[in-house]
Amino acid sequence: MAKRAQIIPPRSDLRRKAVNRTKGFDLKLTPETLRKLTEVVHRAHDDFTSDISQRLVAMRDILDFVRADDSLEAGRVGLARLYADSLEIKGAGGTIGYDLLTLIGKSLNDFVGRLTVLEETEMRVIELHIDALYVVLANRIKGAGGEIEGEVVDAFRALNAKFAGVRSPT
Amino acid sequence: MAEKIDFSKVSFLIVDQNRLSTQLLRDILAMLEVTRVRSVTSVERARRALRQDLVDIVITECHMDDESGIDLIDWVRNSSDSPDRMIPIIMLTANSEQEFVVRARDKGVTEFLAKPFNVEGLYRRLVSVIARPRAFVNAEEYFGPDRRRRQVPFNGPNRRDAG
Repeated sequence: MAKRAQIIPPRSDLRRKAVNRTKGFDLKLTPETLRKLTEVVHRAHDDFTSDISQRLVAMRDILDFVRADDSLEAGRVGLARLYADSLEIKGAGGTIGYDLLTLIGKSLNDFVGRLTVLEETEMRVIELHIDALYVVLANRIKGAGGEIEGEVVDAFRALNAKFAGVRSPT
Repeated sequence: MAEKIDFSKVSFLIVDQNRLSTQLLRDILAMLEVTRVRSVTSVERARRALRQDLVDIVITECHMDDESGIDLIDWVRNSSDSPDRMIPIIMLTANSEQEFVVRARDKGVTEFLAKPFNVEGLYRRLVSVIARPRAFVNAEEYFGPDRRRRQVPFNGPNRRDAG
């Protein structure tokens, strides 16, 4: 017979320690606190864009490395690096207002995440993503961009779906 | 008078390989007057930090080399070696797809926040783990916060019958 689940009451030590009625921050975020927190994120803007551009350079280097060394091990290492860098771009973009970087970064991360080997066609697709990310960064396209940017994201989505279909086991 | 949170009383452990993400979190926490923050770049180091220091809240990335944030949650919740099986854990990660959310939930994550994140989302989760602690469930295959957010009143012998 399966063991019955035991419910353990909420632990109150942290609440007792930190929650009070005189000192600290309101439970509901006030406009003043939100403004200060948003300023903190804004201050990180340049560091984040610089980090993203370094990752784009690194991803190009990885592709060069894999083209120069077509061993399985090089491909495996390259894929792991590409996955990690694209994940960071996906996660960072929207935090500093570059939603489009996140959308394209996600497309790249989804694409790389499905790969088990890196061949020329796949590397070309990765390069297309990197080029698009460069354009967004160089032109400082904040938010999700406009109509053209939307079409680019849709095209990447379609490309991903096509490759997912090709690679899916039948 | 309304309730407030004195974040200076709360200690944090950040587990993330990304230096910038960690720094941004540190800056946000500093703005909230948090003074005790430790950051590490691997799950193994997180284990060591949790054994050494008193930590109130863990904020962890999912994707890391060697072991993931989900491995860390598993260790905290299920290992006999864990110093505090009920510590609140917030997963802050770009691995935001449903499979990661479900895996983290099933290992006992307290709150999940996808990167890119906004400060409102982070603040809400901090308030939630500090001011509104959740009951824990100790079952055969799960130890962690009660995964049901909506509390349904029941009178019968078996809570699952309450729907």
